[in-house]
Amino acid sequence: MTLATGAGDGTFTFTIDEWFVVTLARTIKDTEAVFHGFGSPCAQVAMHVARHTHARDMLLVEGATYAVNPEPIFIPPTGNDLALQHRAAYQLRFEEFFDAAIRGDIDRMFLSGGQIDAWGNTNVTAVGPIDRPKVKLGGGGGGCNLAATIRHLTLWTTRHRSGRTLVEECDFVTDMGHRMKDGTRKELGFTGGGPEWLVTELGVFDFPDGRARLLQIFPDVTLDQVRDATGFAFDVAVGLKQVSPPSRAELAVIRSIDPLGVRGQEFSAAELQRVFEHGPGTGCAC
Amino acid sequence: MPFFMDPDKLVTLEQAATRVSDGDVVALGGGLSARLPMALVRELIRQGRRDLHLVGSAHGIDVDLLVAAGAVSICEESYVGFEQDLGLAPSYRRAAEGGDFRIAESCCITILTQLRAAEAGVPFLPVRGVKGSDIRSLHPEYAEITCPFTGELLIAVPALSPDVALIHASLGDRRGNLHFDKPYVLDERFASASKLVVATVERLASTEEVSDAGITVPAHLVAAVAEAPFGAHPTSCYPDYAYDRNHLREYVAAAATGKGATEYLERFVIGAQTEEGYRKLLGEESLDRLRGWKTSTQAWKELFA
Repeated sequence: MTLATGAGDGTFTFTIDEWFVVTLARTIKDTEAVFHGFGSPCAQVAMHVARHTHARDMLLVEGATYAVNPEPIFIPPTGNDLALQHRAAYQLRFEEFFDAAIRGDIDRMFLSGGQIDAWGNTNVTAVGPIDRPKVKLGGGGGGCNLAATIRHLTLWTTRHRSGRTLVEECDFVTDMGHRMKDGTRKELGFTGGGPEWLVTELGVFDFPDGRARLLQIFPDVTLDQVRDATGFAFDVAVGLKQVSPPSRAELAVIRSIDPLGVRGQEFSAAELQRVFEHGPGTGCAC
Repeated sequence: MPFFMDPDKLVTLEQAATRVSDGDVVALGGGLSARLPMALVRELIRQGRRDLHLVGSAHGIDVDLLVAAGAVSICEESYVGFEQDLGLAPSYRRAAEGGDFRIAESCCITILTQLRAAEAGVPFLPVRGVKGSDIRSLHPEYAEITCPFTGELLIAVPALSPDVALIHASLGDRRGNLHFDKPYVLDERFASASKLVVATVERLASTEEVSDAGITVPAHLVAAVAEAPFGAHPTSCYPDYAYDRNHLREYVAAAATGKGATEYLERFVIGAQTEEGYRKLLGEESLDRLRGWKTSTQAWKELFA
């Protein structure tokens, strides 16, 4: 495997999909038990990056094969494929995984949505009225139970810039965030902590007091661009920081595990043109 | 749920599909683009089955074809689509947007819980989630219940016993013992919760061979078994073959319009007349390519490139 290098002075380049995946990976803490939903290549690749860099003792559960700590030969374009079970220490049954998740033994799950609101509610069911949708989306899988009990959720979207994804109110709430029409997580008796992070192709939000706050931003994005693309008002963290760049080790894992570039499917062609350079003078990315 | 004691349940695919009636609650085995019971799906369409109520977890072309054929009145799957790769399910989406079936979208865990209630013969079981989600609004049959021990408010979901479960397996014998590899998805639960299991197998084998491979679903739960090589195509049935991404991509492109979906059905389902006709249409070369995933990592990767 080779890393794109610059003039032999330690400079290297990477693209937004790679930086995005690394940002997702860094939301995983070591020794966490982590799961991704199907149809989520960025989260899927991110889990393998974490397990091969800073979170070597995590428990990685593949999203549709329920394989535990596999070493996929490559990431295929479908989540239920034998390639994802390679060298798995064990394969959970469907019910073994979901039982663990609803009793509270899964620490983190990655969730996305066609719409996401300021409280971290997500919609993967339908845009427009449910009885006559404008767009019928695929559906939530296990989300409307998992979101209640998994300890932490990392939300993500690669379609923030479209202006249609981060909305004031979801047309339909499939998976619950911090505050719903019926009450807060506490009022509804949920045992999980809800959304902890929201990573987008423009920046990173956290959820102090349950509402999204902009914490970090990519260097080629302005705060005004984030505001223009976001359908809800949000606070900005004091000392808004740039997203930390990826390390060589993280990039190496991405390029080795995802040679087909399945992660890129989540981005528009225009976003994939975003290339970054890391070199002397831009700070340590180790 | 009832036990089926007949020592010989081998039937033709046509006979197997007649065990499904118009209006039935049908559980589809497999998941996403893996081990979907496609031979049975195609045969149900050929036989003109109507008014089906589909239940299950995350599915793809099985649901989409049945919807395209106008066979579905209620869809209670947790997801229908082709993931990030090929996107939304075109016929399912079009029919949902047109109000052609009732959207009763569910959750993998809720369906699992409902099947477990049926397996245990109890009328309901509780779930902790669903509260706060609009999924609840699609299910007037759910109820609130207060735990008599802790006082916690939970959602009670009723037992679900599908009229028939359709399962595709790698191996099976005449009695109906089935073997297939993980992930089993909901198939084991469907098998014991449903009133009837109708199975297809890649290859009919002796009881000894199936037993040596490991019995995933036992014969006493299975009412009928038919041999259907490439019965999961265009989805995968490992270790026999990988999924046919090219075929799925062509289907998704064709089904972007109602006319295209109808043309696909006319060519590959109705026009093919039988599964033998279907395999002939696909061609031996393309089927060999799918079987060739195991020859090298490169060959496997190329199937997905």
